[in-house]
Amino acid sequence: MESPLLQHELLQTRRQFFGTTGLRMGGAALAFLKAAGEAGAAGPSAVHPALPGLPHHRPRAKAVIYFHMNGGPSQLDTWDYKPGLQEYFDKDLPESIRKGQRLTTMTSGQGRFPVAPSKFEFKQHGQCGRWVSSLLPHTAKIVDEIALVKSVHTNAINHDPACTFVMTGSEVPGKASMGSWLSYGLGAETSDLPSFVCLMPRFPEGSNGQALFSRMWGPGFLPGKHAGVVLRSAGDAVLYLDNPPGVDGSSRRAMLDALAALNGKSFERFADPDIQTRIAQYEMAYRLQSSVPELTDFGKEPQSVLDLYGPEVKQPGSFAGSALLARRLVERGVRVVQIMHRGWDSHGDLPGQMGNQCKDTDQGCAALVQDLKQRGMLDDVVVVWGGEFGRTVYSQGTLTRENYGRDHHPRNFCMWLAGGGIKGGVVHGETDDFSYSPVADPVHINQINATILACLGIDHERFTFKFQGLDQRLTGVEPAPVIKSILA
Amino acid sequence: MRRGILLILAFAAPVAAEVKYNRDIRPLLADRCFACHGFDPGKRKGDLRLDTRDGAILKNGEGRAAVVPGDEEASELWKRLVTKDEDDMMPPPESHKTVNEAEKALLKRWIEEGAEYEAHWAFTPPVAVGVPGGGHPVDAFLGAGFGGLKASGEADRATLIRRVTMALTGLPPSVAESEAFLADGAEGAYERVVDRLLGSVHYGEEMARPWLDAARYGDTHGMHLDNERQMWAYRDWVVRAFNENLPFDRFSEWQIAGDLMPEGGADALIATGFNRCNVTTGEGGSIDAELIFRYAVDRTATMAQTWLGLTAGCAVCHDHKYDPITQKDFYSLYAFFVSNADPAMDGNTLLTEPVVKVRAGDSGRREEEWRAKEMKAREELAALEVKAGYLDPADADPRPEPVTVERVWFEDGFPEGSNPGAVGHPVQLVKAPEPVFSGAVSLKRGGAGLAQDYYESGGNPLVVPEGAEMFLMVYLDPADPPEEVMVQFHSGGTWQHRAVWGADLIEFGKKGTTERYVAGPLPEVGKWVRLNVPAAKMGMAAGLAVTGYAFTVNGGTVWFDHLGFAGKTDPANDPGVSFAAWRRSVAGKDLMEAPEGLRQVIKDGPDKAAEAELIGRLRSYYVQEVCAGTAAVLAGPRGVLAEVKRERAEADAQQPSTFVFRDLPTPRDAFVMVRGQYDKPGEKVGPATPGVLPAMTPPEGGRRPDRRDLARWITDRRNPLTARVIVNRFWQQMFGTGLVETSHDFGTQGSQPTHPELLDWLAVWWQDRKWDTKQLVRLLVTSGAFRRDSAAPAAAWVEDPANRRLARGPRLRLDAEQLRDQALFAGGLLVREMGGKGVKPYQPPNIWEPVAYTGSNTRFYEADKGSALYRRSLYTFIKRTAPAPYMVNFDAPSREQACTRRERSNTPLQALQLMNDVQHVEAARGLAGDVMRAAADKAGRIAGLYRRVLVREPRADETAVLERLLDGELARYRAAPEAAQKAVTFGASVPPAGVDAVELAAWTLVAGTVLNLDEAINRN
Repeated sequence: MESPLLQHELLQTRRQFFGTTGLRMGGAALAFLKAAGEAGAAGPSAVHPALPGLPHHRPRAKAVIYFHMNGGPSQLDTWDYKPGLQEYFDKDLPESIRKGQRLTTMTSGQGRFPVAPSKFEFKQHGQCGRWVSSLLPHTAKIVDEIALVKSVHTNAINHDPACTFVMTGSEVPGKASMGSWLSYGLGAETSDLPSFVCLMPRFPEGSNGQALFSRMWGPGFLPGKHAGVVLRSAGDAVLYLDNPPGVDGSSRRAMLDALAALNGKSFERFADPDIQTRIAQYEMAYRLQSSVPELTDFGKEPQSVLDLYGPEVKQPGSFAGSALLARRLVERGVRVVQIMHRGWDSHGDLPGQMGNQCKDTDQGCAALVQDLKQRGMLDDVVVVWGGEFGRTVYSQGTLTRENYGRDHHPRNFCMWLAGGGIKGGVVHGETDDFSYSPVADPVHINQINATILACLGIDHERFTFKFQGLDQRLTGVEPAPVIKSILA
Repeated sequence: MRRGILLILAFAAPVAAEVKYNRDIRPLLADRCFACHGFDPGKRKGDLRLDTRDGAILKNGEGRAAVVPGDEEASELWKRLVTKDEDDMMPPPESHKTVNEAEKALLKRWIEEGAEYEAHWAFTPPVAVGVPGGGHPVDAFLGAGFGGLKASGEADRATLIRRVTMALTGLPPSVAESEAFLADGAEGAYERVVDRLLGSVHYGEEMARPWLDAARYGDTHGMHLDNERQMWAYRDWVVRAFNENLPFDRFSEWQIAGDLMPEGGADALIATGFNRCNVTTGEGGSIDAELIFRYAVDRTATMAQTWLGLTAGCAVCHDHKYDPITQKDFYSLYAFFVSNADPAMDGNTLLTEPVVKVRAGDSGRREEEWRAKEMKAREELAALEVKAGYLDPADADPRPEPVTVERVWFEDGFPEGSNPGAVGHPVQLVKAPEPVFSGAVSLKRGGAGLAQDYYESGGNPLVVPEGAEMFLMVYLDPADPPEEVMVQFHSGGTWQHRAVWGADLIEFGKKGTTERYVAGPLPEVGKWVRLNVPAAKMGMAAGLAVTGYAFTVNGGTVWFDHLGFAGKTDPANDPGVSFAAWRRSVAGKDLMEAPEGLRQVIKDGPDKAAEAELIGRLRSYYVQEVCAGTAAVLAGPRGVLAEVKRERAEADAQQPSTFVFRDLPTPRDAFVMVRGQYDKPGEKVGPATPGVLPAMTPPEGGRRPDRRDLARWITDRRNPLTARVIVNRFWQQMFGTGLVETSHDFGTQGSQPTHPELLDWLAVWWQDRKWDTKQLVRLLVTSGAFRRDSAAPAAAWVEDPANRRLARGPRLRLDAEQLRDQALFAGGLLVREMGGKGVKPYQPPNIWEPVAYTGSNTRFYEADKGSALYRRSLYTFIKRTAPAPYMVNFDAPSREQACTRRERSNTPLQALQLMNDVQHVEAARGLAGDVMRAAADKAGRIAGLYRRVLVREPRADETAVLERLLDGELARYRAAPEAAQKAVTFGASVPPAGVDAVELAAWTLVAGTVLNLDEAINRN
């Protein structure tokens, strides 16, 4: 059972929905819905309406595409350039830097903590002169579009709690994910697709794949319809999307017409408004059956766009393909797309593993930003890139110039944002010479989330949901100020 | 709509009546004021608290008070509410909170009327007032007003029997059951149905479901690897407890403290699984103290939520902003749980100690056989002892020279008395025709990712000989070769000695040291290969007592056999050949494998005098069963003993175990953790209950309170919460919404009961009846309120959408499990077998695989076959990081944390599932075949569908709609018979014989339509 407010919203939803989408329904559903619904305002957010009063202020972007690099990419080998470390090769990390900081028990037993400088070459790129390692040649081309935050920190030191934190603002399971929050608050601009979609591309063989958890796209305490819908790369793209063998679209249509007619009679008898919602949801299901195949068919994409994403773009489940799919999703009005790429947990053989991971993702990330830009969509979409934590400057396991490993490091890591509302070509935050602690403008992970919300016109402090006696919010109870300096 | 909202407000707070603090004022103050002027001194502003009357009327230094009873103009609270000055305004603009005019009017009247406070209703014990009138007590309390709504009449019988059967068993009634009820014209027909249902075994299954949500029961550990765990015996016990109607107080006490209540027997111990259901991790790098802290926090919060209806989680970090549960209160409850004997790291293993076997095996007959064999073998040993002519080398003169020996440490199993464990599938000892190098069995290890067999406790240590070389036989599966093989040794409490062959991918130990000695490439596959490594290369010096070992593979399948050390030893000091040396080596130990009569003398050691006769028996035991020097002569009967032992262990391993909760012998200290950080202990606290609730009875003799005392305090009649909270949840289960809507929160932030006298009366009545749950449930479902028609005028749905006034009957969307079980039932597929290991029915591909950790043993989903596909959903295997999509889709929780109230969402993904999931399509086909057999004409068959799914008859217009659908589909399938063939062969069940595929396919679609009706998805 839902609160009166929610009931009211549902009724509104139905009215808008009936007003705008009747043409695509079968006869019986249409007849019933016409009789039951009132002619309502034709709004784009018919099926996924925004909460009243949202957005709080003029939004700079409409949608979010979030590249979650699961496992903790090394900031030292990508974005946080520390040329001075070469001199420290195999020397112990000075105690004045480490300050007895807690370590995971994977390295806390190590006798010493030898510094491992990055083996990768860094060069300056773009108008802004950003230092980028040779692992990211494609992303290096878009540095003038992105705001780099070098001083992100989180509370958790292990994967499970850190992943839960970055996506839900808390390391304890049970809170709502950011995508669910945005779906709840802003709805979506489509009636044919879900408002929050997750993609899980495959990752390189031999990389250390950590687990993903459904709580990273779960609704927590929010209504279940705000759960992220996983678009799958094998089998049905949406669970249970395809009709069973021997049932074609015309049979389904006939069945739905009969169902709507019969459910209409039930509504006449019970008057339960949930029955109207049910009729509408069955029709939405029917539309998904045609909108999703159209969505995943890249046949009409020009070759120049496919080339931008690289040769793997047409392989289902590739990272490049997922990046293109993300663009097609936001283009169709989906609010949040979360791409979760695994394999970044490089405890050993970091140069080899990072090489594979970056090769798999670099071109897709850059292509997405370029593609959005050339279509004039970049102003409407916030693109986010980052993992759940960073990695240590000292080597885990054997250290040579050419090979080393790095342990988890929650004290500072790099994330980047681009697109709607974000100022390109800037850096926020600085770290010490060992990339061990922030020395300027530390940014808690919740501030990143607060900033993303701000780009979408939401004041994260006023965006609350009452649960367990508290006004819950995505960004937790501690202050998490928006990073104003990276906003356009 | 606008009118509706106003009316609802009017119902909640009649304007004419007196303003009540708890009902009208407290929720307002709590939401707008208490964050800064409440209970938490750390967050309090301006030294003002409004949560107590004393605080509110206290004059400050300037003689002003927030509240001056009877005089709102003099009250600072009022002035601040109405001022336009942003600096003085309350709530302050930056809080984004406002007080509307109606709320201001309430506050004004409250101050005028004297600003009285009331104690929080849920913290004062329930008092039963007399039932106000005749008839059913529930209806008497509800009265006749219904806030201006007109009550519906009683539902028709078809609706009633489906509603109550679904509510009490989670299944629809059978056609025969429905017909019997429809035909029973005698008085009490409905009550007879209720009594029959309360006696059904399915009652326990249905009642267990919400309880298991609260208990957060699952079949995996829930974090990181999320490997399988075995504790389904707890789930089965909950079912049984409801079916046997175990009084609820005992049901509760056992779950909290059954390990301390030996009078409860085996069941009480199994019940403690409640506190082992929390998620655990075995993630490398985790910090033990942090995990111990987290587990105890979870257990404390779950207990508080389940029985007390309190959301104590906030108090982990700070004093509760709104509730008078202080941080100290929280950690005092936590002190009951923090001495857990289970480890911080779950070991990613099926059975994380402490565990118990759940039932005796059927090995009685075999036990006799084994005993007979053992007796015969021992007789032979005794006869052969003389022939063996044993002489202790320590007694020899001159003493013998050092000799080269081979100490075999794995042969036909792990050493005597050890406790082997595994990461990945359980330990597998296999016989020929699988590869076996020597003896009867070898150890087989396989699985995706990192997998391991090991032991590190129990068994005699092995002493490394002089100049020792480790040897080990391995056989690599040519069809599934591993990337790497590793052997590890345990000494001094840690694993620091390793050797690896192959890719060196396993990130254990420091590379290039004795912690991780790279011994070479992988051996040749498809044959037994002997691996040798000097013990020194692994850092094992002569004389080191090694206390365990581990075989590890990274991917692939390997057989291991015949592990040991070869080296030189002085026979006189070798426990393997010298009786005297052996006695010294086992002194102080409880050698469980030795005969009972000898264990004390073994433990006493050679330094304590003993009777010569006893020493003689001990020596015989050594010579016959232990000594390596006599092995050749005694090989025959010793082999028989080893064989019996292995068979017994195998039988034992097949008996399931279950997680239980126990305390460490010495309790851990508990502290208030500053800001909820595990490494910031503050004030030390002992186990105690929250100060705001009635105190617990002090334990006798000044004993430290333990979980037993906590359990008895929870079920103590003076506890104001437990009975109310649980009654409310049963109400919620039957009616959809609790009398207290926030069934998870009875604290001051929770909602008020709509019918407080009824709730209290039920709570007292239930306790008076010795917590008889079946009687309570019977009382609820026999009420007129439960039996009312759920149809109501449209205006009533707008005015009371959640049916809080109970003027109509409950109409609820079925839960995930009920929907699936109903379909299986209607399709004639349901398998009613109860209990046991979780089953894996159909699940779409790629649910587990894309999210699972590479080395997890629940990475690949392999559906079961046969009847396991059609068991009740309660028995579906729950992997907590990737729960079954057909459950989550309908709001079943992931079981990662306690859930006491499920949502009921309504989404397009649900529609897709019910139309397209093979489980539902198969069920529709089964149902179609059934009605086709039962009737020959269309109308008769459609009536059959309605009777089986909705119990009722279809109306003529409904029949017409479905006939039209059928005709269209018949025409379509006649034109495309191959499509019909596909439709009728989808899924594992066999389509009914002798039925035309075209007809069956068309009827399947019609049956599916009926199963997708809103009326079928709801209990009406």
